[in-house]
Amino acid sequence: MIRRLLPAAAALALLAGCSDSPDPARPVGDPTPGTLRVLAGSELADLQPILDEAANATGVSVKFDFTGTIEGAEKVASGEAEQGFDAVWFSSNRYLELVPDAQKRLGTPTKVMSSPVVLGLPAAKVTELGWDSKRVGWAEIAEAAGAQKFTYGMTDPSASNSGFSALVGVAAALSGSGSALDAAKVNAVAPQLKQFFSAQKLSAGSSGWLTEAFQRRARGEDPGARVDGLINYESVLLSSPEPLTLVYPSDGVVTADYPLTLLTSASGEAREAHQKLSEHLKSPDVQRKIMETTHRRPVVPQVQLDGKFAAKDLVELPFPGSQSAVDGLITTYFDQLRRPSRTLYVLDTSGSMQGDRIDGLRQAVTGLTGADQSLAGRFSRFHGREQVTLLPFSSSARPALKYEVPQDDPQPVLDQIRTTATNLDASGGTAIYSSLRGGYDVLRQQIDADPDRFTSIVLMTDGENTGSEDVTDFQLFHQGLPQDLKGIPIFPVLFGESATAEMEQVAKMSGGKVFDARSRSLSAAFKEIRGYQ
Amino acid sequence: MKRTLGIGLAVVLLVGVVTAIVLGQGGEPARLQTVRGVIGSEKLAFFADQRVKDVFAKHGLVVETDPAGSRQIATATDLDSYDFAFPSSAPAAEKIQRDRKAARTYAPFSSPMVVATFDPIADLLTKAGVVKPGPGYQTFDVQAYLELAAKGTRWDQLPGNTSYPARKNLLVTTTDPRDSNSAAMYLAITSFVANGGVVSSADAEARVLPAVSKLFLDQGYTQSSTEGPFEDYLSAGMGKTPLVLAYEAQFVDRVVRGDSSIRPDMKLLYPAPTVLSKHTLVPLRPNGDRVGELLQGDAELGKLAATFGFRTSDPQHFATVVKEKNLTVPQTIVDVVEPPAHETLERMLEAIAKQY
Repeated sequence: MIRRLLPAAAALALLAGCSDSPDPARPVGDPTPGTLRVLAGSELADLQPILDEAANATGVSVKFDFTGTIEGAEKVASGEAEQGFDAVWFSSNRYLELVPDAQKRLGTPTKVMSSPVVLGLPAAKVTELGWDSKRVGWAEIAEAAGAQKFTYGMTDPSASNSGFSALVGVAAALSGSGSALDAAKVNAVAPQLKQFFSAQKLSAGSSGWLTEAFQRRARGEDPGARVDGLINYESVLLSSPEPLTLVYPSDGVVTADYPLTLLTSASGEAREAHQKLSEHLKSPDVQRKIMETTHRRPVVPQVQLDGKFAAKDLVELPFPGSQSAVDGLITTYFDQLRRPSRTLYVLDTSGSMQGDRIDGLRQAVTGLTGADQSLAGRFSRFHGREQVTLLPFSSSARPALKYEVPQDDPQPVLDQIRTTATNLDASGGTAIYSSLRGGYDVLRQQIDADPDRFTSIVLMTDGENTGSEDVTDFQLFHQGLPQDLKGIPIFPVLFGESATAEMEQVAKMSGGKVFDARSRSLSAAFKEIRGYQ
Repeated sequence: MKRTLGIGLAVVLLVGVVTAIVLGQGGEPARLQTVRGVIGSEKLAFFADQRVKDVFAKHGLVVETDPAGSRQIATATDLDSYDFAFPSSAPAAEKIQRDRKAARTYAPFSSPMVVATFDPIADLLTKAGVVKPGPGYQTFDVQAYLELAAKGTRWDQLPGNTSYPARKNLLVTTTDPRDSNSAAMYLAITSFVANGGVVSSADAEARVLPAVSKLFLDQGYTQSSTEGPFEDYLSAGMGKTPLVLAYEAQFVDRVVRGDSSIRPDMKLLYPAPTVLSKHTLVPLRPNGDRVGELLQGDAELGKLAATFGFRTSDPQHFATVVKEKNLTVPQTIVDVVEPPAHETLERMLEAIAKQY
């Protein structure tokens, strides 16, 4: 009998040990009375003070774990979300509801606030365009964009809801039919859409980073070219430290309505918590506070819009009614409509990468060639018209391997990239900075031949630099670069024993961003970076 | 030794549980029984009301409800954990009753389908011949509307329209025909008009489908529960939702609440013809029957239901509310038609769903 108890005791001890590092399926812990575990879009983070007060008032506290719209939809559809969460809270349920496996898992939604996606430009630019005295529609906006009369930044529609809403909005408005989009309607207005997106000079995987990069560029802190305006939530634009004038297209907008949505799997306690919190958040006082502090519109008619919301009755554009229509629109955006990308991957294949690490790298690159069949994976593959260069290095840079993915039949080229990735081998030293410097020679040639592209560098290394050039040498080199090369953002990936401080420095000097792959797969990091390329 | 102790402990625990169950069912009057139901979302406020809870408590019941689209209740929801289902229409209830082999159903209240709108839109549509004066209330001429919709008319194409020149199709906002009862009721109305009578043959189905499908598909994304678009109507206003299909009860409920959510420029139109949504409770377990009986027979619950805007089986309750609150809703609606048979309605909804 005693012996039979032993394994149980051992299992208990093991469980106790595990509780220090959270179960990946339950990033915000086990169900706890009085706690609502919420899988959410990152833009909800600014609601924290309101939620802190709500916790005091109702005894219900919210624990957030943030994810992108499409990734979130995938987690709900696969049932993964049910394992660790009671509710989801994104800027909209529209995409979720179009995925049948996700839709059936959604319970009661409470729309908490709303914010339309609109264009923000400096007042002087609005006057210059003549838009201060009249309201303009998307067609006029697209025309001015096509003539390069203004430039803007927008998030990646597959990673973030604001970009997604803007894409749907402009496509719906330009199609002019007034009814919901389908592939034929999108194709019919492809030329105008291309014009519109030709002025998009900045992309990002999240609304927050987009706004920060925009501001850093405006203040000259980032070497990247300044961008006139942003397409983002009204709430984000209203809180921008660089004052922006909001352009509300007369033919309509797509609005985020932030439904706090219980999952059908939620326990009775979570259900009650959801109801209590919903009632609190929809009470007039809290609604007023949300409006005042987060610049989002209230959803209860008892609270009047205050003066900062220049346009009151906004026409809402129709949203596609099927997942295939939406997915088709996003694919068309990447493969045909937006300015094509030029991406350089500077990849560490030194001896320390042997084993699992080089395997992880092979998988990460292969995943971008169409091998990743997940929803988010499909959108993050190398896109039609994209120039992809792989620059493996060890003690020195190896020859650059250049590819251009055709718009119409991408698979043969994607297969070539996959073969190259599969054959990457690890040996030798880690000459990070001379190799990175070499990458600029490749980019210089490509930019001279074809300047109008989103250009960026991914730098993946798993350890300390062993080459003769160090980060200071690179900084000097970088400072001497001409503007078009200096403004190329570098996205370093932290992996293995990466020198974190140096990687931060490289990201900062180039206006890039560091991605961490130490606690997750390289594939996940590479996928996330796609939103910024 | 240890094993014996373990079993002994389990027996003690079991006795405790059994005792608790016996006591719970027995004479202790303070002990309330929890009854769980899945309901069309438009009845959520009724069940959440303290006065309603008090009446149920008097009869020893605590009613817990989960809202869901009525067709979702009939097709997608796992009903095993519920004591009753309370969709908002007879056809949905019919299906549940058949699937779950329920002995009977209760239809304690009903509400006609209406189109809620705003004064400027009503004026525009009066000029366009869609809104007409009726017997004491304004009607929404479905035939005239179908003609405009068939042509894909946009708001900005209406002659002389300066009040709402939106570049989108002139369409009534509905819920998703794949999930929700109100969309099915809308299909009942529009298919009746397109066919010139209740659709009752395969030929007629095929004939009306193109026209009625368009009314849904051209909207694109639609929400799955009727509260969604009606709340948009109240809060986001004319820009988002110029015309919304609703239950009369949703509108009346808001007026009775007096929470200033109904502004003076908000108007109700009665489709001509319209259909009645018969809220029908299907008991799944004996406790569900008790809820059904109380809703049908208890005068207090009947009065309360009327304050939530429902037309009750005893018409006096609703008439009293109309009089007290000085509501501008008709006592009787003349142009009411029956929905098609359940199978016909389902087949048409499926056919529309396939086109998404």
